[in-house]
Amino acid sequence: MKTRYVKRHVRAFWLFVAPCLLLFSTFFLIPLGLSVGFSFTNYDGWKVMNFIGLANYKELFADTKFYQSLGRTFTYTLFSLPFKVIIPLLIASLVTSKRVAIKGLARTLTYIPSLLSALVVGITINWMFSAEYGLVNFIIQSLGGTPLQWALNPKLATFVISFASNWASTGFYMVIFIGGLNNIPQEIYEAASIDGSTTRQTFLRITVPMLAPTTFLATLLSTVNLLKEYALVQGITQGGPGLNTTFIIQFIFDKGFNQMQYGYASAISLVVMVIFAFIAYVQFKFSNGGDR
Amino acid sequence: MKKVSTILLMALLLSSMVFAAGTKEAASTGPQVLKVMLSEEPSSEDALLNTMKQWAAETGNTLDVMVIPYEDQLTKFPLMARNNDLPDLLTTTRLSRLYPDEFLDMAEYFDMSIFEPMAVEIIVQDYKSSKKSILPQQFTITNVYYNKDAFARAGITAPTIEKPWTLDELEKNAILLKEKGGVKYGMAMDASRARYDNLMYANGGSMVEKDGAGFDVAINSPQNIATLQKFIDWNNKFMPKAIWAGGTTDNPADYFKNGDVGIYFSGSWNYNSFYNQIKNFKWGVMPSPVGKSASAILGGSGLGVPAKAKNKDLAISFLKWFYTKENFQQYLNRDKGLSSLVGVTYSPSDAQVAEDYKVLQSEVGKVTYAFSVDESSMWRNFYDNEYRDALKQAVNGDLTAAKALNDFAALLSKKSGWDLKY
Repeated sequence: MKTRYVKRHVRAFWLFVAPCLLLFSTFFLIPLGLSVGFSFTNYDGWKVMNFIGLANYKELFADTKFYQSLGRTFTYTLFSLPFKVIIPLLIASLVTSKRVAIKGLARTLTYIPSLLSALVVGITINWMFSAEYGLVNFIIQSLGGTPLQWALNPKLATFVISFASNWASTGFYMVIFIGGLNNIPQEIYEAASIDGSTTRQTFLRITVPMLAPTTFLATLLSTVNLLKEYALVQGITQGGPGLNTTFIIQFIFDKGFNQMQYGYASAISLVVMVIFAFIAYVQFKFSNGGDR
Repeated sequence: MKKVSTILLMALLLSSMVFAAGTKEAASTGPQVLKVMLSEEPSSEDALLNTMKQWAAETGNTLDVMVIPYEDQLTKFPLMARNNDLPDLLTTTRLSRLYPDEFLDMAEYFDMSIFEPMAVEIIVQDYKSSKKSILPQQFTITNVYYNKDAFARAGITAPTIEKPWTLDELEKNAILLKEKGGVKYGMAMDASRARYDNLMYANGGSMVEKDGAGFDVAINSPQNIATLQKFIDWNNKFMPKAIWAGGTTDNPADYFKNGDVGIYFSGSWNYNSFYNQIKNFKWGVMPSPVGKSASAILGGSGLGVPAKAKNKDLAISFLKWFYTKENFQQYLNRDKGLSSLVGVTYSPSDAQVAEDYKVLQSEVGKVTYAFSVDESSMWRNFYDNEYRDALKQAVNGDLTAAKALNDFAALLSKKSGWDLKY
């Protein structure tokens, strides 16, 4: 028989959990359930919804454009991920160093792009990298160089998106790394100094290992965000040239919202969700969840 | 106590009747708000919005304008309909064909014979029923603009209505413009399927061909593959390739306005903004080039009233006002476009505008039978973006012209159930 204390304890538990459970259900569990249901239909987003079994999944696994866009997404993620983690780490190290001046201003300036919406970032980057009237090409031409075809070369177009993504997120990850750096006990650095450790040795042998949990967090968040890159691509290249920057989320969006194939788009979303979850799981396992 | 309750109840009933009557009165005769959905951000010279403002000022009503671009309308409109949050009046090109049940039948409110038959056929026609879900508002046609100063520098004489250029002459002069005309690009074209399709029709091609009561897919015909190959070559030689390769969000109209383009394939809807904005060089309208035949594509947008709109009576009263000859004439003078109302024409006082307008009018006669057949098939309801993606990939060099069109033809055939002709 439950005591009164246990009952109150259980009630308190549910009261604390309820707000989160409500939000989680409304914005994740219910849409996920609907998405699973839609993936077995030919739902057009409004009036047509017939059960078609596994037809969407069969079509998906035979769709070469699905594999191509997924491949592009992985390439883009692998290309951008090191910069997403290393640049904020280096900046965080600089702005926490005792030898650097105007640290407050540097932190603020680095963080400001994180406050901008992806659309504003896209417009700004367009202004800089536009092949026709862009600032970067103007500078290159002013210096006597040949303007670069940002919008025609798939590698340059991917670079521009990656640059924009890094620029917009460096401040956010810098703040995470600053938190991690401040949590490293000063005594360890003092001991290393007494033992004659150089700055480089201290950074590589003490700072980097001690930051492992923070680095894991930054890597995981960056990976997921890069895999889901959407707004920046729309704002900068719209998936071009050709389909060379059409990543998996653009592909899903196009099927669902432009071609009104909600059922098919739901099937892709579910398969992609499983793939992304598997990637996150591998990262967890590989880094032991960031444990030192 | 019982007496007091009865008196209170009577007072409550009376007051509710008074307030109810008052509300009804206000709703029928007082100033009201017309919720309008436009498809693009209106400029200060926007003809429709300025005409609506004139109506609002005359009637004491107010406007609540929201802007949802054409491509977003397709996704937003169903959501608005489901949430009963529809505008009272909207401008559209495709919504009425995709969702005809959601619109009032305008034939019940208007005598359709007041409109130009061609405008009704192109803009209003449903092809599946006789219902008139929208009324023609902006009647547009594809056309070609040119930079007169660049032509003069390159020593090129513009073609005339009587003697239009062939596609070979167009190519030769576009190259000449790039070399001697002082422009960066000899030619540019809107990144729009319809603009490219003019080349296809001019070369004797089409998207589909009639097969009894149905259709066959013909987009991968030899002449269409040849047209796309020519277009790819043009992009590599004298066009801003990034526009059609799809790697930029730039609008080629801006290139033309900046004087960087010699010949620009667009449409009559740009005329008014060019007239107001281009001040640093001379420009004009030239007849479109001719291949096996001439080709122009008529189009435009219509005004529709959703059947579940809250203020649909107000929307109808605006439309009744708008389509009087006097008010529509004022709209047309602001728009400087083609008229969709019988007996109302635009008579420019500016000699240059009058000359351009004559060229625009001459383009109307170039609409091909193949275009009408393609429109009647409503193939775009199956795939639209996929076609543009195929063209983009071909221009960018990712696919050959034949592969791009063969793959798309197979897709369209599978989705539509129509046979492949080639």
